[in-house]
Amino acid sequence: MSTWLAALPWMVLAIAIPLLGALAAFVQPRRAQVIGLSFSFLTAGAAVGVVLDFITLGPQQHAVGGWGAPLGIDLVADGLSILMLGMSAVVGVAVSIYARAYFVPYPDKAPRFWPLWLFLWAALNALFQSADVFNLYVTLELMGLSAVALVALTGSGPALWGAMRYLLVSLLGSLAYLVGVALLYHAYGTVDLTLLAERADGGLQLAVPLGAMIAGLLLKTGLFPFHVWLPPAHGSARAPVSALLSGLVVKASFYLVLRLWFTFVPEGEGLPLLLGCLGAAAIFWGSIQALRQKRLKLLVAYSTVAQLGYLFIAFPLAGLEPQMAWSGSIYLALSHAFAKGAMFLAAGAIMTQGGHDEIDELDLVVDRMPLTLAAFALAGISLAGLPPSGGFVGKWLLLESAMAQGKGIWAAIIIVGGLLTATYVFRVLGFAFTRSEHHHERHEVPAAMEWTALLLALGAVLLGFVAPWALPLLDGVLP
Amino acid sequence: MSSASRPPGEPGLLLRAVLALLLLAAAAGVALALVAGQVAPGLSGAVAAALPDSGASNPVTAVLLNFRGYDTLLEMAVLTAAVVGVWSLGPAPRIRETEPSPVLLGMNSVLIPLAPLICAYLLWAGSSRPGGAFQAGAVLAAAGVLFIISGRRPAVHLPAAPMSWGIVAGLGVFLAVALAVMPGGRELLEYPRGLAGALILLVETAATVSIALILAGLFIGGRPEDEP
Repeated sequence: MSTWLAALPWMVLAIAIPLLGALAAFVQPRRAQVIGLSFSFLTAGAAVGVVLDFITLGPQQHAVGGWGAPLGIDLVADGLSILMLGMSAVVGVAVSIYARAYFVPYPDKAPRFWPLWLFLWAALNALFQSADVFNLYVTLELMGLSAVALVALTGSGPALWGAMRYLLVSLLGSLAYLVGVALLYHAYGTVDLTLLAERADGGLQLAVPLGAMIAGLLLKTGLFPFHVWLPPAHGSARAPVSALLSGLVVKASFYLVLRLWFTFVPEGEGLPLLLGCLGAAAIFWGSIQALRQKRLKLLVAYSTVAQLGYLFIAFPLAGLEPQMAWSGSIYLALSHAFAKGAMFLAAGAIMTQGGHDEIDELDLVVDRMPLTLAAFALAGISLAGLPPSGGFVGKWLLLESAMAQGKGIWAAIIIVGGLLTATYVFRVLGFAFTRSEHHHERHEVPAAMEWTALLLALGAVLLGFVAPWALPLLDGVLP
Repeated sequence: MSSASRPPGEPGLLLRAVLALLLLAAAAGVALALVAGQVAPGLSGAVAAALPDSGASNPVTAVLLNFRGYDTLLEMAVLTAAVVGVWSLGPAPRIRETEPSPVLLGMNSVLIPLAPLICAYLLWAGSSRPGGAFQAGAVLAAAGVLFIISGRRPAVHLPAAPMSWGIVAGLGVFLAVALAVMPGGRELLEYPRGLAGALILLVETAATVSIALILAGLFIGGRPEDEP
């Protein structure tokens, strides 16, 4: 039995299962909830299979069609890929269980959510395993299109407006990326990442396509000042969708930036410094905007803008201590996926309970939903980077890397950003402990919604404890 | 135009100038990258060498359905996701039931019967000449669009189930074939020798049906009425 299981092509199944699930949920709309949840578990199982294969056998490769690069397309699962696959599996399962309960009162939305979400998951798993720049473009398109449709699912005016903006930005980003792919093929005659790494020799022929691709991906990641599309889209989507967008989708384009960076290892100080400065600006701008928001979901969305900034602090720090800085950034990305996913799920539970998400009117929500508030607080601890959470490990690695190089200014930015994060988290918690003057209607919240948010937030904290096992997986991937 | 009089949401002059400069810089960069350095030989040599094993004699079909068939599989997923997204926005808007012009009706009576014929030819020609599922599906979809705008919809409403099964057929068959060839130590989409041509035709036929339905479905702009 176990040898039979071990022989299954998990890399391929992690992509094929969610695609099959999406088709099944689409043709059976009345059973979409059951089909969707079952295929979510299967998809997560396949991702676990890829992770176990990596741990026992090392990096895996799969030449689709049996041709191999450069004629065919190669799939590769290395340490970075499997961390991202694992992240998608954990957040994906939590969101799926939550969504099963969340969509019960919306029978018209549920059959539409599941196919789109499974298409999105297939795109994520395909993206994390692809070693071919053109194939990566196709996965980006599948991801972008299903993410936009998920935002539009809300159906309200602001959501449709946000979805339209998201669609246009996403298309512009893909197009810039595609221009880069075409130029790379023009110059080097291949679209395979491994071969490109061997053939690319720097100069203008590499700089222009790489610049176009990275610019397109920054647009999709929502790095300041390209973040303007992010809060309307993430803030107006349904809670499970917001969790997926903030937790996973923006990480996918960030992962691709890292993948390109590690492949081509661009020289020079200018671009890393620029990315670091944009990251610092994102931390301040996002945090200040988060503090000013009146609606909980918009606060959480602006917090995403700020936290994405942290991921880019690693670029200027990677000069002398590449291992430490990159590990910190990747670990922050992982723990942000858990924490932000949990925070949006908690916000969705609060919104279901009270029918609104005005921060001033949280009205002693701690009495009615202690689990959800605990989830929100735990997620906040990880976002602010307090020990022992995963966010702490990530920020600590970045801090240590900055101090080791005597770059105190970056250390100061990291610390001040953490304080700002704690401030907006405590602002929400403060209102949750106070009574409002107005009377609000109250609704029952399914226990599954509260518990998934809490467990995901606990996961964000526990990530801090598994760092000694998770970080060595990156050996051999980092430059 | 002064900034005070411009409608809200319109970008100001400064922003437009900055964007124009950025676009010019991007265009200059692309042009420079194109003229700088030599052009690498592409993969046409490798494609020609592997063509006899691919199951198609047209190199474009061989690349799309065999060498890089996985890209095409994911592109079918993109098309399917697009129509799933459109169905999620709401029921199809009602098409104006006005008397169509006699010119349109006359043209339809010639074009619509011809369309399946052209579609079948394009699909078949794809294995050796320019053609294939995307072109064949587009022709069929165009016939569908002509039929819809003629206002002569059949009295029965478009049923949801056949439409959704037809939409998923392309990706479903492609995935099934891609996975079904794997037992026996082959990779995903690694067609067994001798069967490649037949399997490619099967995948393309299913894809043609789906592409036609998806494109026509995007034109209709919503889900059928009996779809929940």
